[in-house]
Amino acid sequence: MECFSLLRSDVPALIDHLRDFGEVIAPHGKGDVSYSFEVVRDSSDVVLDYNRTLLPLKKMFLPPVEKLMGFSLKNESFEQVEVAIAPRVFFGVHSYEMQSILRLDHSMLSGSAESNYFKRRQSSRFLGISFEPDEFHFSESVGIVIEEMEGFDLFLNEVDGDFQLYVLTDNGQEMLNGFDKINLTEPEIVEGRHFKKKIRYHYNRLPRVFQYAYHSDVWADVASRCVGCGACTLTCPTCFCFDVHDHVEVTAEDGMRQRSWDSCMLSTFAEVAGGENFREKTINRTRHRLFRKFKYITDEEGLPWCVGCGRCTAFCPAGISMPDIVNELIQEDEKAQYHRTVRV
Amino acid sequence: MKPQVAFFDFTSCEGCQLNKLNFENDLLDILKHVDIVEFREAMDDKADHYDIAFIEGSITSPSCVERIHDIRRRSDILVALGSCAVNGGVNAMKNLHPIDEVRETVYGDDKYLFATLPAMAVSSVVKVDYEVRGCPMTQQDFLKLLIALVLGKQPPKYGSPVCVECKLKENECLYNRGMVCLGPITRGGCDAVCPSFGQFCTGCRGILDNPNIDGMLEVMTSHGISLDEAKKRMLLYNSNEVQL
Ligand code: SF4
Ligand code: SF4
Repeated sequence: MECFSLLRSDVPALIDHLRDFGEVIAPHGKGDVSYSFEVVRDSSDVVLDYNRTLLPLKKMFLPPVEKLMGFSLKNESFEQVEVAIAPRVFFGVHSYEMQSILRLDHSMLSGSAESNYFKRRQSSRFLGISFEPDEFHFSESVGIVIEEMEGFDLFLNEVDGDFQLYVLTDNGQEMLNGFDKINLTEPEIVEGRHFKKKIRYHYNRLPRVFQYAYHSDVWADVASRCVGCGACTLTCPTCFCFDVHDHVEVTAEDGMRQRSWDSCMLSTFAEVAGGENFREKTINRTRHRLFRKFKYITDEEGLPWCVGCGRCTAFCPAGISMPDIVNELIQEDEKAQYHRTVRV
Repeated sequence: MKPQVAFFDFTSCEGCQLNKLNFENDLLDILKHVDIVEFREAMDDKADHYDIAFIEGSITSPSCVERIHDIRRRSDILVALGSCAVNGGVNAMKNLHPIDEVRETVYGDDKYLFATLPAMAVSSVVKVDYEVRGCPMTQQDFLKLLIALVLGKQPPKYGSPVCVECKLKENECLYNRGMVCLGPITRGGCDAVCPSFGQFCTGCRGILDNPNIDGMLEVMTSHGISLDEAKKRMLLYNSNEVQL
């Protein structure tokens, strides 16, 4: 693994260089205090220091709203939308975000692969970047450190304001051909970047905590504060549920089938034909959300399905915190264990 | 034969009906599917039977009650159009005050000449088959319903909050800009048009089923407005739906 030094002021030149390999997508400022991944038009617009984007990078592989096919009622015909494979470079991606893409790969590609996702995922290259955790990030608690480089072709680690550029794959190597603003250097360990938010247990102990958490009192407390807006799940990088709708044009002749992100936190999510709803109450839904992150998939895959990006917490209007809920469950579990032990 | 449709207005600003007249581009397409037989804003005609009757405005007087019953009798499908018809809308704010006080404020000494009732949703008086929400209702929403009815399909139902469409558009949440927004408990379907243009949601499409009202008041007050103000905002379009 080679490591090069790169001046902060030369990063725009690197971005311009990378444009030879396809469309470059990178974090940009959005609104007053937010960020989003956008296609780079001008490399000097790219933001290198950001906490998290509003929507996860997932949106580039599984778009929030996507046309699946067009149809004609008149001709009784339909035409599937073909997704073109186009090379893209994702620049300035945080480690937890990359990890979420790897988890999404698992969700979307194992078994029978989701073809649109698969095509968009083809010929993508990733350049990671280190970050300063804010009060919401907690990815270390789910096993993802700031400098986790799995999945990246290149990685920029900030050292004293400038960068060290790690070359991780042949693709990464190829992307640097002909770029002369870098110099070979020795990798340095950066001290002093700490996660402010933590889950108290190692993540491999969480499935056991969740094993006993189904009837916890914590869920009712969360449900009393939750207003059911769906922000947590709609901004989560590992959620992948969607809904499918048909739209007919005003001519009543042509139309299209669309899919759009859905959320298990919405009261309509589990409504089925006949009006039955198998997760009717908020308490059922808040519980389900956490079980999806720390129990159901985790039992099978051995990994939490939360990457600790902090979006669900940062974007919750009611201030409900994912790691706080988990810590409350841990505390409750400790108490229960204590009582079980004392009684014996 | 094309379905015969009619439009009627009750207590409202008639903004929804005017919105339909703005259809310019789509009007000819619409007229391919339906015959408009009654529409006070644009023509005067009267028929004995309507396949679809569209009702705008809320029911606020004994004569309204009589008229809506008459229309219902002559209609196969009846659709409430816009906030006033769907749940009473802003008109229902009057229901928060004693009815005598309201009459006196509006008509003064002549108050006995004008019979009045609490402002009601059309569905409080007759059976409503479908609804198009919003103040005013949007053209897209109306067209979706009309096309569905023409094709004999179920019109779309909106059971998710405005926040969903807002998030899908990757808007910066107005709570992060120091505003207080009713998006989390307001029925979506508007494509989050207000938040997308920097205006907080005022709840014009009505409140979702089973809302967490206490939780929402807590969210609003913790973002800097008084409890009184928070309640007023919630009631603006939803006096008939929210008990505070
Ligand atoms: S559950 Fe929350 S913190 Fe975990 S990945 Fe999803 S949005 Fe991020
Ligand atoms: S701006 Fe309003 S509608 Fe949009 S996400 Fe925030 S609360 Fe919801």
